Amino acid sequence: MFKLNLKIALRNLWKNKGITAINVGGLAIALAAFILVMLYATYETSFDKKLPNYKNIYLVGRIYPDFKTNYTAPPLAKAIKQNFGEVEKVGVTKAAGFEFALSKDAQVFFMKNCLILDYNAAQMFDLKPSGGLTEPHADNRLMYVNNEGMKILFPHKKDNKPEIVAVGGKSSGQTATISGTILTNPQSNLTFDGVAIAKELDTYLDYGYNNYNTYIQVKPGTDIENLTSKITSLYRKELLKGETDQSTINEIKAINVFLDPLKNLHLKPKAGNDANYKVLIAISVLGFLILVIAGINFTNLSIAQATKRAKEVGVKKVMGAFRLQLTTQFLLEIFMQCFVATLLGLILAELVLPKFNSLFMVDLTIWRFENNLFWQLILVLIFITIVAGLYPSLVLSKFNPAAVLKGNFSTTKKSYWLRNGLLVMQFTIAVIFIIGLLTINSQLKYMRTQDIGFNTNQVVNIKNLTYFNTAKDFEPLREKVLKIEGVKSATVASEIPVGAENGSNSYSIEGQEANIEFLDVDFDYFETLNIKVKEGRSFSKTFNADTVNSAILNESAIAKYNLKNPIGKIIRGCNTDYKIVGVIKDFKTQGFQEAVKPTIYAMKNPCGNSKTQILLKIDEQYMTSALAALKSQWPTINKRDGENFRYEFLDELYGKLFKKQEQLQSVFFVAALITIFIAILGLYAFAKYITNGRIKEIAVRKILGANDIQIFKLINTSFFVMVIIANLIAWPLAYILIKKWLATFAYRIDIPMLPFALSAFITICLTVITVSIQAKKAVKSNPVDALKYE
Amino acid sequence: MIKIENLEKVYKTEEIETTALNGINLHVKEGEFVSIMGPSGCGKSTLLNVMGLLDKPESGSYKFVETELLTLNDRERSNFRKRNMGFVFQNFNLIDELTVFENIELPLIYNKVPAGERKKLVNEIIGRMNIVNRSSHFPQQLSGGQQQRVAVARALVTKPKLVLADEPTGNLDSTHGNEVMELLCELNETGTTIVMVTHSSHDASFSNRIINLKDGHVISEKINKGRTEELI
Repeated sequence: MFKLNLKIALRNLWKNKGITAINVGGLAIALAAFILVMLYATYETSFDKKLPNYKNIYLVGRIYPDFKTNYTAPPLAKAIKQNFGEVEKVGVTKAAGFEFALSKDAQVFFMKNCLILDYNAAQMFDLKPSGGLTEPHADNRLMYVNNEGMKILFPHKKDNKPEIVAVGGKSSGQTATISGTILTNPQSNLTFDGVAIAKELDTYLDYGYNNYNTYIQVKPGTDIENLTSKITSLYRKELLKGETDQSTINEIKAINVFLDPLKNLHLKPKAGNDANYKVLIAISVLGFLILVIAGINFTNLSIAQATKRAKEVGVKKVMGAFRLQLTTQFLLEIFMQCFVATLLGLILAELVLPKFNSLFMVDLTIWRFENNLFWQLILVLIFITIVAGLYPSLVLSKFNPAAVLKGNFSTTKKSYWLRNGLLVMQFTIAVIFIIGLLTINSQLKYMRTQDIGFNTNQVVNIKNLTYFNTAKDFEPLREKVLKIEGVKSATVASEIPVGAENGSNSYSIEGQEANIEFLDVDFDYFETLNIKVKEGRSFSKTFNADTVNSAILNESAIAKYNLKNPIGKIIRGCNTDYKIVGVIKDFKTQGFQEAVKPTIYAMKNPCGNSKTQILLKIDEQYMTSALAALKSQWPTINKRDGENFRYEFLDELYGKLFKKQEQLQSVFFVAALITIFIAILGLYAFAKYITNGRIKEIAVRKILGANDIQIFKLINTSFFVMVIIANLIAWPLAYILIKKWLATFAYRIDIPMLPFALSAFITICLTVITVSIQAKKAVKSNPVDALKYE
Repeated sequence: MIKIENLEKVYKTEEIETTALNGINLHVKEGEFVSIMGPSGCGKSTLLNVMGLLDKPESGSYKFVETELLTLNDRERSNFRKRNMGFVFQNFNLIDELTVFENIELPLIYNKVPAGERKKLVNEIIGRMNIVNRSSHFPQQLSGGQQQRVAVARALVTKPKLVLADEPTGNLDSTHGNEVMELLCELNETGTTIVMVTHSSHDASFSNRIINLKDGHVISEKINKGRTEELI
């Protein structure tokens, strides 16, 4: 019997080749999308998952009344280890924070992201250096570079012996010993291209040096809430040691500690950015909805085809087939199609994967058994078969043989509603995607064209290892650089204004205290970036005080302190009294998602960070020659970097801030295309059935005198109404969703109305065209042919 | 062989109730060829559907040999049907996706006949029906008469005790119609009981007994002398 059923199924599918192709093809596309989403979701959710103590590792962070941070100071680690038995291990890590060159003869490897960590942290994160992880001696750090670096530095290396390399410019005379290579894992919260492992990390420092990450590994079953509060009191107690100033004591008492589990660190850290998580959720929902749409197509077309299979059901029932047999038969048929679709989907996914990988900057592969894809696919296959096939197979197997064999058979009103409902749902989803896509486009366009308050064009950021903490340190470099033709201005600052986090500290004006950000700059900083001075003046060499205690505030800071006449007022912070000499207009250093933070700019700041970020404004015309001159002269201009002259364009760096939104835009673009494509495919096939079912009616109408236009109108009306309904349902949903999305931007467009109108226009046009193509056949056919069948 | 007593069947739609069968009593002997006639809507098709266990009446009794069939559940009805009954329809109802051979084979499969024997039985009946060179054709490639022979072959291949025919010649021209009727007669002569619904008194003349229905009642019964004599 299976053989005969298979024959019936195959011959049926072959007879309806077009519909079958639409059904299977649409599903294959949806499954390909879904496969990519699953791969991505698995990838994003399994960071560090293979670590033996994955569930017991926590990052220790701090909460201040107005901010949260993952950074802690080294003594905290020691205190935790000494005080709490349930903590098995405490590890400390620190990013080197700057890029430097390692060189051997002519070979140079630029270490962009060197991670410094202690032996405990290396154990916790299961680091695997060549020759195995060994505990370093107290006064020695073991340095390892990734394979790529080792290949560059020692292309012919075969043994595991340590090697000596130069650090920075050759004339700087610094060397380091590389103990071997280390495997890097892109799926880890610890990213690096090289590491330096110490026995213990900077334990001599005090609680002021919050530049470290502290990880703890607890015993299984530890009460984390309890431990959190215990660490909080320990931390406060440590900070309070020797404090007498009441306001400082009050401040300390407001500080809390949090423990962030390892499994949350990548996607939704307590302190930090959860953009990855949002993107993941967004594309998971998209992937699922696409699958739903394809499933709907399947259900719809299967029900539509039911009429054609009714006779078969009747005959089989008459011959004694049980209903269960028939239900199983139809489910199997649908399963077969789903199975083929899955195989096609895998092939499609494989083809699209390289593009997907480059868009999301990941390295996913399908053909790896550990990634769970296979059992997930089997589950999806079963799920789709049941969702798409159960209802049609129940409907089909339910047919009353006495009725269908007489030939006076029509699908019931009930499935009519279901089918139309499903069609409306498909279009609702498609409309939401179109509106979403158009809105994302508008917001991105706004971000690209809006004035950001400063000019990143023709500004070059030069990589540098030297500290230029005072104006005097930087002056010689500036003089030399300005001699090169085309260099208009040169400055140095502690951070570049493209998404970097500034430090923050408490400052007071006239007794009013607030936590604001600080940035340490040099002369010509505002001029180089073309930032407008709103009141007062910029830093100038003519005022000696500027290098000591002059400050410039931005508009947001003025607003925060609610100052009327800020110029000349004193702002106190970090044991220094600064005189406000100017107010600048706000500029968006963090892109568009975060509001500009109140910031103080000064040239001297005892609590500040080292000034290392050199920024040059270079005339476009002389850009190439100026960069070439800089490169050749750099060894004399800046000894530490020497021949390793490297630079980046500020506008390109700023563009990276839009990366997540651009990813989202691409995903929405593809998702919208796929959903519309699948929905239209479904509509096309569905309209064909509807029209076929009405051929007799159309013939009768034509004989009674209906013209072609009237027939077109007749067939289109119900579809037209459905698309309108879909739009009406989609609009409020889309409105809520885009409102939520736009709310993640501090600077955003008003919700535009055009996407709503446009999506209606697009869907209506596509529907009318699709349906009319089908209707044309019915209209053009000879009515006598249709009626002859009676 | 068949004893039907006080059979009642009512069709209900939202607004109207139609009584299709109104206390029908009918006895069919083994080896008989009975025609059921009557105007449209008299209930003859309903009666046939009830006899074929395709429809359930509201009340009454339907005994086949000594088994009461109306108390069976769906599964038992299916089982009983496939073992004892064969059907011939006005519009043939062959499965378009299956060849002639496969269409005829289908009921044997449902009766779990082993493959080797199936082949033998199907070939045998194909020979008898004179459609040997058509066995790998699909239904649409055959004429109406040929299609109905296939349908008859399919009804007979399981050697049913009862064959139910619903206007078997309704879609055929007179030549092909006569061929089919002769086929049914031959069949009847080999001992198969046949109940046939028909509009055509010509077709009815092939049977032993003609029952006239109107508004769900049996209004007359007539022994077809010529045919009965022929039988004797």
